[in-house]
Formats: sequence, structure tokens, C-alpha cells
Amino acid sequence: MNSTTTSHPTGAVLEVRDLARTYGEGAGAVTALDGVDLAFAPGTFTAVMGPSGSGKSTFLSCAAGLEPPTAGRVLVDGHDITDWDENDRTRLRRERIGFVFQAFHLMPYLTAEQNVGLPLRLAGRRPDRARVRELLERVGLADRGGHLPGSLSGGQQQRVAIARALVTEPAVVLADEPTGALDSGTARGILTLLRDSVDALDQTIVMVTHDPVAASYADTVVFLVDGRVAGRMDRPTADAVAGQLAHLSDLVVGGAR
Amino acid sequence: MTGRMTGLAWRSLRHRATASVATFVAVLLGTALMGSFAALAASASGPVSTADHDTLTTMGTVVGAWGAIIVLSAVVSTVGITVTQREVEIGLLRTVGATPGQASRLVRAETLLVAALGSALGAGLAWLGGAALLTLLRNTGTVADSVPYSPGLAPLATAALVVLVSLLGSGFAARRATRGSASITPSEGRPGTGRLPWWRVAAAVALFGYSAAMAVVTITVTAHDDDPYSAMATSGQLGILVAVGLGCLAPWLLRVLSPATRPALGRGAAGYLAAYNARRRSRLLSGVLAPVIVLTASGISVFMIVGTDDRTRPAGFEDDARTINLLNNVVVGMMVVFAAVVVVNTFAAVVAHRRSELRQLWLLGATPHQVEASVLAEARGVAAIGVVLGALASLVAVIPFGVARHEGVVPDGQLWLPPLVMAAAAALTLLAARSAVRRAHLPAGSLQ
Repeated sequence: MNSTTTSHPTGAVLEVRDLARTYGEGAGAVTALDGVDLAFAPGTFTAVMGPSGSGKSTFLSCAAGLEPPTAGRVLVDGHDITDWDENDRTRLRRERIGFVFQAFHLMPYLTAEQNVGLPLRLAGRRPDRARVRELLERVGLADRGGHLPGSLSGGQQQRVAIARALVTEPAVVLADEPTGALDSGTARGILTLLRDSVDALDQTIVMVTHDPVAASYADTVVFLVDGRVAGRMDRPTADAVAGQLAHLSDLVVGGAR
Repeated sequence: MTGRMTGLAWRSLRHRATASVATFVAVLLGTALMGSFAALAASASGPVSTADHDTLTTMGTVVGAWGAIIVLSAVVSTVGITVTQREVEIGLLRTVGATPGQASRLVRAETLLVAALGSALGAGLAWLGGAALLTLLRNTGTVADSVPYSPGLAPLATAALVVLVSLLGSGFAARRATRGSASITPSEGRPGTGRLPWWRVAAAVALFGYSAAMAVVTITVTAHDDDPYSAMATSGQLGILVAVGLGCLAPWLLRVLSPATRPALGRGAAGYLAAYNARRRSRLLSGVLAPVIVLTASGISVFMIVGTDDRTRPAGFEDDARTINLLNNVVVGMMVVFAAVVVVNTFAAVVAHRRSELRQLWLLGATPHQVEASVLAEARGVAAIGVVLGALASLVAVIPFGVARHEGVVPDGQLWLPPLVMAAAAALTLLAARSAVRRAHLPAGSLQ
């Protein structure tokens, strides 16, 4: 692995510099990201918000090394992974990044315990049973370890997915609309769980969402519009975030940065 | 069938090309294979001598009948896979207001469109195939050169039968998929769905029972017949019938036997995933296991029996031998091609169905190589179970015939043949898996 460790003065565990991503070429080209600079410090919970098509998901894909950016750099845990090949990026991803998806993405033929241990298996390591149990207990599923996803509710499946995201003790957990497929009551439980892993485990979380309530659980909200950072809000409340979202077009015109 | 359902079915079909192609190919080749022999049998009713009449009837009906069992079970199995794959979507249709009847009509309408197209073309191939078979028989002097080719409606009747059976198969699968309350949760992984449907068990019991009885008859009765080919008539097809019976039980067999293949899957993450997928989702992969068993069993049993016959044939039966063994070789050749196509076909459908799941594995940190390796490991497990079961099934034909011809339980020659057939069947399974997983173009960057 070409581990180019750069000194990162910001101390960020995840950083993107002048990130740009364009799909297609010529007249039909679509710019999804257009010069995004963001850095996420350890132990912080950040929500990335914006209307549909604002580049939220593309940002997450690029930050995770799933797709290469058109321009700019991506630094994960001090490694500049921008020019790494697919295999190296995959290895870094499974060791240093935890993922929580909107649709859970549990393997239907593995039990909850086995799903939690999967990232370690993929990395060629044998999961420590005690550690897996401890994580399932942390997400409130201590007695469901032997169940297959098909016999768990949506909220329970997402809890398993969170335990799975934490199993490698990643530098950062990336969450893509983690409550998008859940009712609001279940969603609150999931968001509280994410909040707890920041407060209790000093985990770093970056969450893409369009839900002001979900965003209010974060320390900071970053607004994206048309592929650019269009504002930032610390200690957000749901009402303030909703108000800000309503004025996003003004922010773009005003050139917030 | 309402026009609206057909319109919806047509659009739905274009969305799942791989699965539709699997059904289409199985129906096309199945009709061609069965129809060729049916056309031959129909020609027996023309102006032909009694001897030729008997030859044509034997070939057409006897061989055609057990060929039909394979073809029809393959069609039912392929149709079943494509329906089972759509459980979630059928559940979705029902949650937005489709009644169980409407949902299953949609499934049947789709099957009808694909099967009608496949069997119509298949009937055309059968017309040509029957003519080719008859030419072969004339050229080898098996029947008189004057025997005219008169297939009549046989290819079309075969096509109709195959369409009917396809509809029946999709009806069974659709009923299973629409049973219970509307839900978009796939039933795999839900507890209590691992049971085999009663008709699979019933078919397997019937096939095993018939085969056991005929094996006993071969040793105790037809072995002592003056006609040395009576014993072959009662034992020749048993290996294939037992294999089809095992194919009916394939989901259960895969679940029970897959732990034994664990060492063959490798120790890495790929082997780990393959082991649990095979055990907990045996219904999906069992569609591949069944044709591997049939392929191996038909290859071994027919070739071994022809070998034993060559060594032990009494003098004076050379003419019979030529006809019968020509027949055997033609049939086993067609069966092997058909089973091989079904293996390739089914793997493509299964992998296409799992694309999103394999992508999720990549999102979770599996390298593209690991994703591919896990599918190949599953193929290794299926191949290992399939060739062993197929070889065991072939014994039900080989042993009684060997005893009847006084070679005993172990044939006197060609013992290299079973390992060769097993190796070939295993290689085919692995190649099918590899091409399926390569064609599925797995990981592509981005989250959605």
C-alpha cells in the first residue's frame, strides 16, 4: 500500500480539498461537486445537508474513496487516497471507514453477529466474539445476535448496521440518510445511538441527510447547494436548520464562502 | 388474461432481461429436444414396415418420455427461479394494491409471453431436428431409406405442452410468492421458509420408488429374458430418473450437504460467505445443483451401460446393438448439451439476481476479487455436491445392468469414465459461474 502519510495541521480524520466531480463530458456534463473544502475533526458529529441534486451523495462517495474525484484531494486518517488504486482504497475503506446506509445493506444469509463481524472477515481477520457481543449490546440487541436480518425490524437492522460500522474502530463513520427508511420514532433511537457513539466512544461521524430533525443531533451542519458549500451552522436545532434550508437559494446567490 | 396485465408484463419483462433469457432458452431447447423425438414417433404412423414402425415408436416414445421428464423439470425449475427472485417486487405490487390473483396473473402473463415465443421457435427447431434424426437413422441403415418424414403436428403439440407446463410451474411459484399477507420483506431469512413444497417431495419419492422397483426387476426378471436388451430397457434410464428425483430435493440436499464442502471453499472471507449463502439460501443455488446432478448422472450411466453392453453382448444381436447404442449416444449427447445450457443459464440468472447484494459487499469493503471469489467458491461447493450425487445416482442404472450382464457390481472396464464425466461437469459449473460473474460487471464506483 502506498501509504503517503501527510502531516495534517488541521488534525482532521477526514478532509477534502477543492473536491470536484463532473459526470459526462462536453455540453451534457453535469457538475455534482464544484470545489468543496471540508475537514472533520476527531470526535465530531457533522451533518451534510442540501436539497436533492446538491451533491450530498457524490460527496460521500468521493470522501469514502468509492469513486474518484475529477479534481481535488481526499485525505482519510492522514492518507491522501486520491490516486490509490481500487484494491488499496478498498483496504483502507474497510479498515478505517465505517458505513451506515439508508437501506441497511445487511447480508441476508448472515446472522446479526456474523454481519457485525463481516468487515473484519473481509480484512482477513477473525472477529473477536466478545467484541461483537459488546457492540450488539451497545446497540441494544444483545439477545438478537443469532437472528437473520429477515426476522429483524427495520430499526433493529439499522442498529446491527451501526454495530458493524463500529467494529473496526474506524477513523470515521459515514452515514448516508441512515434514518431515511425508518419511521420518526425508530429514527430517534438510531440518531441517539449515533450521538452516543460520538460522546461515549469519541467516534467521528459524517452524516448525509435531508431531515432537519436528524441534522439537529449533530454538532455542526454543513449545507451544500449545487455542489458547493453554502453555509455552516454550529449547535443546530431542527427549526433553525429548516429555516436555513428554506433560504439556501439566497445563500448561493450571496456566495456564502 | 386482461390486456392491461399483458402490457404490464411486457414492460416488466424488458426490465429483467437475464431472467427472461434463462426461461426463453430453457423453453426453446426443451421444445426442440422433446419435439424432435415426438416428430420421429409421429413418422411411425406413416406408410412404413412393422419393424421400422417399432424402431421409430421406441425411439420417439420411450426415449422421448424420459427426455421429457428432464426437459419439463428443467423448465419448471427455471421458471420457478425467475419467479422466486421477484418476491420483493411482487410484495411491493401487493402493498400498492394488487390482489394475490392480480400479482400471480402478472407472473403467468410474463411466463406465457416468454414461453410462447421460445416454444414457437423451438417447434421450428424440432421440425428440423426430427428430420435430422430420421436422416441419421436412414444413413445408418436403422430404418429403411423409404421411410418418409411426416412429423404432423407433433412439434406444435410439444410446444403447447411445454407452454402448459411452464404456466403450471410459474403458477406454483407465484402461489408461493403471493401466499400470506402483503410484505416487501423477502421470505429468505424469514424463519420457517426452508421447507420443501410437497410436490417436490412427492415427485422425488415417486421417482425413487419407480427406480428402485425397476432396478429389482432388472436383476430378478429382465436379466433372464432371451432378449439381452430387455435388461437395458428396464435399467438404462434409472440413473437419470434418480438424478431428477435428487434434483427435486436439491434445496434440501444443498442445505444439508453444504457444511461437508466447507474445506473446498477455502479459508478466506470468500469461502466464509459462500458457505453461509449456500446453506441459508439453498433455494437460489439449488437451481444450479439440479442440472449438475442430471448432467453427471446421464453422462456416466448411459456411457457405462453402452460399455458393458459392448463387452457382454451375445452373438447375433449386432443390428439391435447398432440401433440402440446410436440411440443412446444421440440421446445422452442431447441431454448433456441441454443440462449444460441449463447450468450456464441458471448461473447467469442467479448472479444477475444477486448483483445489488454483491455490490453491497463491495461497499462494505470486499475487493472486487473477493466478490468474484465468493461466487466461485459457491460454484465449487455446488459442483462438488452435484457430481458426487450424480455419480451415486448413476449407480442405480449401472449396477443392475452390470449384474444382469454378469459383470457384477463393478463393471469390467471403462472405470476411468466416471471421474472424467465428473471432472467435465465440475469444470463446466465453474466456467459458468466465472462467466456469469464477469458479465455482471460488478463493482462500479458510487453509492447509488
